[in-house]
Amino acid sequence: MWLYTARRLILALVTLALAVSLLHVMIRAVPGDPAAIMLGPRATAEQREELRTRMGLDEPPWVQLGIYFSDLAQGDLGVDVKTGREVSAIVSEQMPYTLVLILTAIFWAAAIGIPLGCYSAVRRNTLIDRITGVLSVSVIAVPSFVMALYALLIFAVALDWLPATGAGEGLFNKHLILPSFAVGVSWVGYIARVVRASMLEVLGETHVRMNRAFGLPESRIVFRYALPLAILPTVTLIGVGMAYLLSAAVFAEIVFARPGIGALIVNAVGERNYPIVMGCVVVTTGLFVIATALADLINAMLDPRAREGI
Amino acid sequence: MTHQNKRNQHATSIPRRRFLQGTAAGLFATTIPIGVTWSADGKKILRARGTADLDKLDPGFYQNSYNVDVMNCIYSKLIRYKVGREWDWELQAAESIEQVDPTHIRFKLRPGLMFTGGYGEMTAEDVKFSFERVIDHDSPIKGDWGPLERVDIEDKYTGVIVLKEPFEPLWNITLPYGAGHIVSKKAVMEKTGNGGDFGMEPPCYSGPYFLAEWKPNQQTILKRNPDYNGPDKPEFDEIRVIPMQDEKTAEIAYESGDIDYAQISLSSLDNYKNDPPKNTTIEEYPSLFYVWIGMNMDHPKLQDINVRRAIQWAINVPQILETVYFGQVDVATGNIAPGLPGHREAATIPPEGDLDKAREYLREAGAEGLELTIDTLNASKWKSIAEIVQAQLGQIGIQLQVNVQDSGSFWTLGMEEEGDRWKDMQLIVNRFSMAPDPYYATQWFTCEQVGVWNWERFCSERFDELNQKAIQENDPDKRAAMYREMQDLMEESGAYRFLTHEATPIVYRHTTTEATLRPDGQPLYRYFRSV
Repeated sequence: MWLYTARRLILALVTLALAVSLLHVMIRAVPGDPAAIMLGPRATAEQREELRTRMGLDEPPWVQLGIYFSDLAQGDLGVDVKTGREVSAIVSEQMPYTLVLILTAIFWAAAIGIPLGCYSAVRRNTLIDRITGVLSVSVIAVPSFVMALYALLIFAVALDWLPATGAGEGLFNKHLILPSFAVGVSWVGYIARVVRASMLEVLGETHVRMNRAFGLPESRIVFRYALPLAILPTVTLIGVGMAYLLSAAVFAEIVFARPGIGALIVNAVGERNYPIVMGCVVVTTGLFVIATALADLINAMLDPRAREGI
Repeated sequence: MTHQNKRNQHATSIPRRRFLQGTAAGLFATTIPIGVTWSADGKKILRARGTADLDKLDPGFYQNSYNVDVMNCIYSKLIRYKVGREWDWELQAAESIEQVDPTHIRFKLRPGLMFTGGYGEMTAEDVKFSFERVIDHDSPIKGDWGPLERVDIEDKYTGVIVLKEPFEPLWNITLPYGAGHIVSKKAVMEKTGNGGDFGMEPPCYSGPYFLAEWKPNQQTILKRNPDYNGPDKPEFDEIRVIPMQDEKTAEIAYESGDIDYAQISLSSLDNYKNDPPKNTTIEEYPSLFYVWIGMNMDHPKLQDINVRRAIQWAINVPQILETVYFGQVDVATGNIAPGLPGHREAATIPPEGDLDKAREYLREAGAEGLELTIDTLNASKWKSIAEIVQAQLGQIGIQLQVNVQDSGSFWTLGMEEEGDRWKDMQLIVNRFSMAPDPYYATQWFTCEQVGVWNWERFCSERFDELNQKAIQENDPDKRAAMYREMQDLMEESGAYRFLTHEATPIVYRHTTTEATLRPDGQPLYRYFRSV
């Protein structure tokens, strides 16, 4: 297990370095000048040039990348050229809001999706199973921002049960309910379908049939013996889902006017605010890599056969 | 009536004295304003939508109007824009101000205006420092101060702004706007060491509010400055500006009661008018922005003026406005908005254009079957404009390809220092922001600006000459005539088809506040009244 963990961590670091390098090259390949955008229309050519030099944009790309990795190794993500604030401070301010949003969205997705998948598997080919199937595919197909808008119109405007916008005081509060539900609900379908398929496979295995032969109650068979096995692919799915949910969080943060890393990246890309873009990418890619690595490690812990993968 | 009934009647009846007390209390209660947003500790709070999050609070280096909206609350200026529908200014920190001669402006500060944080009284020395640092530190907005040479100090409160040459926009876009805010010399020097940009960390305040909290991308909280003893005492104890980039989000936030004031989208305006949210006042203001279709005069396909004229005449402006702006905006006659000196009553080409005339120009150019491109921002409004122009030019046989670009790429498209992309640029859907002086609209279209912000590459000696003269002209009629002629020249070049100045619809909850705005609909939070 230790060897597997070490190999998995090295792979995670390589993935992170590759992602950062790729993005560093890609964002600079796209036309656009951060100096022109940040200094505004009244700046002179000399002022723009001076800012480009200050941002290190006059250096060749590989030198810029080298400098970036060297700074990164020292924990320095650079300075936001617009506000003059440390990127690490900006990202660490915004990140908790996105993390909480994503984690709560996963909670919604798991809390609804897993029981739904189990129920569908146990009641296979019944009317409820079919309805669940149709609903699952439907919520997968509906974009997050549509969910977000309807959630707002129904629960904030029409019923006035929940606040419409902002993040409120602290991280966990009623401001979180609507955006996390809007982000998480489309993931319900994925989880329900995966759990259903996995449960069907497990329920057909010999040890489960043996349990039935011994006369164990069906609920005990499902929850005690089948579900722990059937849930394994869901753990991987949730790990991968972090990346998907991050992109969905962008919409939620804009629609619900919430702070967060998603909206920060979108604005920074539009402004070619390279330090912010790179800072966000490092942190989010890092999170994604950690999430998938953790999912793999949990899998390997639960199922030793998975350790042979790397 | 039985004894029991009598008892019941007695039990449910109200003694006369109690009835009178209750009625009095009820009447008193109706006189209390019920709509004001009160915090738990009884403070009056204004919650307003900001169009973006703050990124700069140093007035000497300001960018973007949403920053200036907050600066207006936390600093003071010599003069300020008047609230209302007509562009004008009135005194704020200045007790008096006069143009001594075309290059000298004498001001006298109101005595007793205090900076927060123990930085003392505002003096002419602070005014000198605030204005001169813009030039000394080569600020990107030094153009606002035009030919400022220095500020001379006469006594503690009196000073003279000395210009190298006359600069009429000073009264319209410098003194009453961002660059006109006064900061404390002592505080800024302590903070920055050299008087440079202090970014988002104001060292002290001189306005009726101070920055209590800035939660990036979440909210800005301004609280009443207890030391403020200047004119126009604020009515709200606290102002919360909540950044919402998306207009639809702002509308939902308003309808759900999260905010009390918002700028809304033109697409929602009709719905709001037909079915307004409860206790809501809807107001429409003309905007100063200008939107136009530009043509790169140096592109080989557009060098022939007949081709450009064909395009001008083929574009039906009302058709575009009806579709994209839902018929809620007026046609532009140039790039200077109504209400400003130099606004033209009509363009030389009728807004509807004329397809026959357009075909005629195209025939003269021998350019039938022409294929062109149009670049636009990747937002639905701009894409729609490009697509309608595509259809309109299709009617005269020009095939137009729409190129959609993200903002970072779009805003450097015509810049020579960004490579050769300007050479391929042909048509463009463009929109510039504007300040309330015509100089702000024309300065981008001089020969010097070709390949910088003048992407049509229009270059006219007469235009440049007029642009220079108009800055210095203090006769309003003569100045207006110059700007009208400059717009004529732009239109005659064939490189411009002006579309609209857009509009600013706003909503506010009249049980909470009475919004006070500039003539272009920009909020002046400092003067918002509580109801």
